[in-house]
Amino acid sequence: MMRPAEGVRHRWLPRFGGVLAFAATELRVQLHEALAIFTSMVVQVVLLVFVAILAPSYFGIALLGAIVFSAFSLGQRVLNEAAYIRVDHKLNELYLASPLTPEAYFLGIAVGVFLAYLPPVVGLVVIAEAVLRFPVVTALLLAGLVLAVWLFAASMGYILSTAFHDMRAIWSYASLLYNLFGVLPPVFYPLGLWPAGLRPVALLLPPSAAAALLQNSLDPGLLAPPEIALAAGAVGVAAFGLFLITVYWARRSAQER
Amino acid sequence: MPNEPLLAEDVRKVYAPRRGPRIDALNGVSMSVHRGERVALLGRNGAGKTTFLKIAATLLAPTSGRVEVFGHDVGRAADLVRPEIAVVPQEGKPFFHLTPREQVYTYLRSRGMSREVAHDRGERALAAMELAEVADRLAITLSGGQKQRTMVATVIATGAPLLFLDEPTIGMDPFARRGVWQSLRDLTREGSTILLTTHYLDEAEALADRLYIVERGRVLVEGTAATLKQEVGGTLRVTVPQGARLTETLRTFGRVVPDGDTVHVIVDPGRLTEILGIAVRERLTATVGPVTLEEAFLRVVGRSIDDEAG
Repeated sequence: MMRPAEGVRHRWLPRFGGVLAFAATELRVQLHEALAIFTSMVVQVVLLVFVAILAPSYFGIALLGAIVFSAFSLGQRVLNEAAYIRVDHKLNELYLASPLTPEAYFLGIAVGVFLAYLPPVVGLVVIAEAVLRFPVVTALLLAGLVLAVWLFAASMGYILSTAFHDMRAIWSYASLLYNLFGVLPPVFYPLGLWPAGLRPVALLLPPSAAAALLQNSLDPGLLAPPEIALAAGAVGVAAFGLFLITVYWARRSAQER
Repeated sequence: MPNEPLLAEDVRKVYAPRRGPRIDALNGVSMSVHRGERVALLGRNGAGKTTFLKIAATLLAPTSGRVEVFGHDVGRAADLVRPEIAVVPQEGKPFFHLTPREQVYTYLRSRGMSREVAHDRGERALAAMELAEVADRLAITLSGGQKQRTMVATVIATGAPLLFLDEPTIGMDPFARRGVWQSLRDLTREGSTILLTTHYLDEAEALADRLYIVERGRVLVEGTAATLKQEVGGTLRVTVPQGARLTETLRTFGRVVPDGDTVHVIVDPGRLTEILGIAVRERLTATVGPVTLEEAFLRVVGRSIDDEAG
């Protein structure tokens, strides 16, 4: 058996052993809901259709926005999934009282859901590339921002999931977050249409900050250098800062107070 | 003893919700579980069994007191405790969109077992739980008992040194329950240690090497089923439904345990004819049986195990 001294050395560091196996479990679970994977695109497609009819010149921006929005909503699914596993199945107890660390448990749920719901997002990226013909730099920026927005949303979703004891209460909050972060700020529409006085707010919210950075990569000069720094910093700090907080929170909430 | 599978001293748990009264769920529970033992926490619903089990399994922090698993404090060194344990949660359900085979296999993989070991252990556990025939059906299509057996199979497949099982046979038919009991006996023979909660008296009697009777967050008594029954004070139980009005008369025959309008009298065989005669005279039915753990529980707790704890 492991002696205390052996385990003490790096106990504060995040440990993700078993995360791929648990993500594979979650992926199998999600793949049984194939229809849900495709209906996850309904909002994006509806908004794209509206934009294509009402303001076709913004269609490219809306396409990039739809990808960012998808990354956010994909991360947000962790809120429902983690709460469902805990409230309806009590399987959190099975997995948390095991060698799988709480942070690996959280990330396993997030990665499993991410992989299951990724194919339609890849479809959107392919369409965006066909329409916009964006350069490699934009493609790399897009990939990085998608991962950052997903990590932010997944972390937020996991933390919030630990606060609920009733699935019905979650649905309304999930919907609120979805609209507050993804629909209201300039994710699907140009940053220029957002009130100028609230521009810093849009650049601080990770989804709209990511969308602004993408819009700027297609239309250089849209953002002033300090604004680029603000948006990039907001996305980075929100994603990785909240992820680290979630690692801490996953450990803390694994043992109820 | 630093390497005792479980050692608990004066464990208290207070729930202090923002609204509503504070709840003293555990009021100074102390116990120990030795290597290779099967120990049952026996008590009514709401007695505090699950609270204690969750604390011991690192899932709930105690308000005060100390719990060690294999010498590690469950609060400060939860990460050292968790590899040594496995838990069947109360009312836990397998993933509905996995089959029992997938559930067991993927769980073992997430615990770090190799594919081969996970496969072999999984198949053995599924066979032990008699799930082979439904092993490839989605869990959502299984009966409640089959789902519960899947949960037990998932946990016994781990072969973890210390297993916690919270009401492991709830919802199972009698044959399935006996199958679970046998598997748990086999596990302890192989070196595992088991702490389970139950409110099934027959389960506690058939399975547990030792029992702790828990009531209102306290351990009232600890011992084997045999010693607890000996302490009841007789070998036969006469149950007289609607016999409450005869309580004083019946008290002259032996220990009387009231249970609503029903009265149980613990007597020696020599006085049986006499007490049955009274029942006949009073036109009451009376049944006779050997003293069971139920009488021991009634004597210790003063209420039936089927009553909800207040």
